[in-house]
Amino acid sequence: MTTEGSPLPGGAPRRVAYTTNLYVGGVAAVGLCLTAAAIRIDGITVDATLGVVLLLAVLSMLLGSVESEGGRTLVSLSAIVMLAAMALVGPAGAGIVGMLVGPFDAGRAPLRARIFNSGMFAIMGVVGGCAYVVAGGRPGETPWPRGTSQIAFEIGIPLLVADVVQFAVNLVLLALVVRLAVGVSMRTQVGQIATSSGPAQIGYGIIAFIMVVLWGPARLGSASVFLILPPLLAAQWAYRQYAEERKGHDRALEVLVAAVEAKAPHLIGHSTRVAELSASMAEHLGLRAQAVADARVAGMLHDLGLTTLPTGMVRSTGVLGGRGLRGYPARGVRLLTGLSFLAGALDAIGHHRDAVTPTTGTPAEFSIPTMVVGLADEYDLLTEVGTPDGVLIPKEDALALLRRTPAGRDSLLRALEHALSLRAEVSS
Amino acid sequence: MTRVLPAAHLLRAWAVLAVGVAVLVGSLYGVGGNLPSLLLAHWLTVVVFVIAIVVGELLRLRMPSGRSAAPLASASALALVFLGRIDGEPVFDVPAGFVVLVVAAALLVPSAIRVSRGGAVGLELVAARVVGVAVAAGVARGFAPTSRSLWALEVERAVSAWAVALGMVAVAAVGISVELVLSAAVRSESQRTPWLAALRDEFGEAAPLTFAVVASGPMVALMAPVLGLLSLPVALFPLAITYVAVDRYVQNRVTYRQTIATLSHLTEHGGYTPAGHAERVADLSLRIGRVLGLADRELRDLEYAALLHDLGQISLIEPIPAGATVLAAPADQRDIADEGARIIRHVEGLDTVADYVEAQTTPYRQVRELGEEVPMASRIIKVANAFDDLTGGTDDAAQVRVANERIHLGLGYQYDPEVVEALAVATSDTTVGRVEERQPVGR
Repeated sequence: MTTEGSPLPGGAPRRVAYTTNLYVGGVAAVGLCLTAAAIRIDGITVDATLGVVLLLAVLSMLLGSVESEGGRTLVSLSAIVMLAAMALVGPAGAGIVGMLVGPFDAGRAPLRARIFNSGMFAIMGVVGGCAYVVAGGRPGETPWPRGTSQIAFEIGIPLLVADVVQFAVNLVLLALVVRLAVGVSMRTQVGQIATSSGPAQIGYGIIAFIMVVLWGPARLGSASVFLILPPLLAAQWAYRQYAEERKGHDRALEVLVAAVEAKAPHLIGHSTRVAELSASMAEHLGLRAQAVADARVAGMLHDLGLTTLPTGMVRSTGVLGGRGLRGYPARGVRLLTGLSFLAGALDAIGHHRDAVTPTTGTPAEFSIPTMVVGLADEYDLLTEVGTPDGVLIPKEDALALLRRTPAGRDSLLRALEHALSLRAEVSS
Repeated sequence: MTRVLPAAHLLRAWAVLAVGVAVLVGSLYGVGGNLPSLLLAHWLTVVVFVIAIVVGELLRLRMPSGRSAAPLASASALALVFLGRIDGEPVFDVPAGFVVLVVAAALLVPSAIRVSRGGAVGLELVAARVVGVAVAAGVARGFAPTSRSLWALEVERAVSAWAVALGMVAVAAVGISVELVLSAAVRSESQRTPWLAALRDEFGEAAPLTFAVVASGPMVALMAPVLGLLSLPVALFPLAITYVAVDRYVQNRVTYRQTIATLSHLTEHGGYTPAGHAERVADLSLRIGRVLGLADRELRDLEYAALLHDLGQISLIEPIPAGATVLAAPADQRDIADEGARIIRHVEGLDTVADYVEAQTTPYRQVRELGEEVPMASRIIKVANAFDDLTGGTDDAAQVRVANERIHLGLGYQYDPEVVEALAVATSDTTVGRVEERQPVGR
């Protein structure tokens, strides 16, 4: 459920737009019909409970959800409210709640995505609510179950079943829309969403369970909301603080680059270009996500050691073959050794020069990220930075020179050319 | 060295400890001979809650300001305060003193573990928590304005559940407040920081976390009549999520600081500034900042600015002798500060830090005579930097005295008298403004 509302990409190719629109319309219509049917068949009691649940739905819309890296939802109030609605007001109520919270779940989203989410959430609410009843739950009925085992069997297990069922509905509907709009295979989609938000989904189930137990059996009614909200808001607060600190931390890395550029003004822009090229090459070579990130950060910080050398020397000597600058990669490593999150990038920072320095003896073995950063660095130095007197050489000559270095393997050079053509595409 | 009792001169710490001991003695006296029979009747409940409190204590969070919190233990202790009917167990009908004794015993177990590992334990802080719980338990179980206590109303279902819940939250808030006020008193005394600033840190820094604790304790007690002892782990689940989130935030703050510290090493590895200079200036600046009662966010930016105050030297063509900016010409000092600020400003979001770095060379005279706005953090860095340049980082008493004298000569002209006074306090005793055991214990 709201774990993964879909902000549909705006720029889907035209030929699939038609089927996607049809599908979105279909989901919205089914959601509406299912909710209407549930109201007709199961009936709905308009009472204080329904009112408070709807109020909560509105509240959760206003509070929004917190997302972390990669757009993963961390604390979603609307998910909890919808699950609680299944146990407190039944399938029809849950459908209404879903229809209400759906459009707002993905934050700022285009109208089409809002319509889709509204329909999807309504379907999830009604289907989940039915699953709750089938699994032995009696939504909103008094007397409430009492005692550990009765509560487990009449609220806990039904809620768990409802949670799993509505999440499955969520997965399928979402994977299908992404398949239609973007063309990513359904299996990959389902796998990705299930692993990224499965655990959170179980968490929502437990919190909804607490809310229902406090509301019904513990006789608290709607006051239960005031007890359950503070911890949730606190979690939300902490995740926001975390996200802010995270951003600050990324910025601190940029200060390191700014320090290099203050030391060596002729290298302005160089670190960023090398980082992008390295990451792009690493991706093309199919490295793991962590290795790609390491290659990027190593490309970013590969010249950090320069900052510890005398300014005059750095400014007058080109990095290319500059004898006085030989030791700077090792200096960079020494600076960064204490930083645990950079552990994977140190090898590339320390040996990127060696990987592109032709040797007469047996060439040493270098790791792939080290060679990637070395090639990206050397290529940028030859074609963009140039020698201290400003001599640049053309792309083809630079590639020919790189071929003679220890890192000049076919696969790596192909990755470099691929990354370069990608960059050219983006800039045009 | 293992520290259990507070230092002799810390009067507030001893006072809080004395109140804690008095509360324990009073509880023992109150429970008296019923202790064995109560323990026997409620052994499972007691065991479950003691385990929860011990585990929660071992999972302490160290907040950025240095104060630590054990939200899961605090919520469990509060839950015990209100516990009444428990499905499958006898009604937890015990005097307030019994609750206090159980909580105190549970709090002392992790302290003993820590001492056995050679860690420091502030018994006065344990006492503050016991007193807080005692106040809450006393009000909930002993205080009966309408012939029945809150606890009795809860068990007899004499009033509606929401009114009971409201009462519980209010009493929990009172108990937590007592604890926070006492620990702020103790902490501000040992760090020689203003009590009000300590109080603001205690209440403000993690206010959402405190609210969560205040709500979670009653939640356990309200669920226990229908869910039994299972209500403890279930109702603490949302708080556990919060715990994980806060922990991630705190850990990230640590790596952030490491990265900034790396920046300060750039000039050191290049031979522009003496080794460890930036770290020492940052440490001293922080301590002075605490003595002056700066808030957490300000302290963080102060620390970063102090670490980076010499960053501008990186683009100097020739290093200045031993990197001692206090000996450089004023115009050169300003250039270095401006260059450092320029580099930092490259990066969005560190503007305050850049401002602090930039203004660190402005003499105090310009504040006094021209009414120029110079942030307190910059004035602190100016003094701390001068002190470290003059002492060369030693804590040799003679050097410290000479440095203090030289800074005093610039009093009012170069340096802010208020900051210099705080410097004198900070250099007179190494514990001033220093947060104990920076590393989280038990993890």
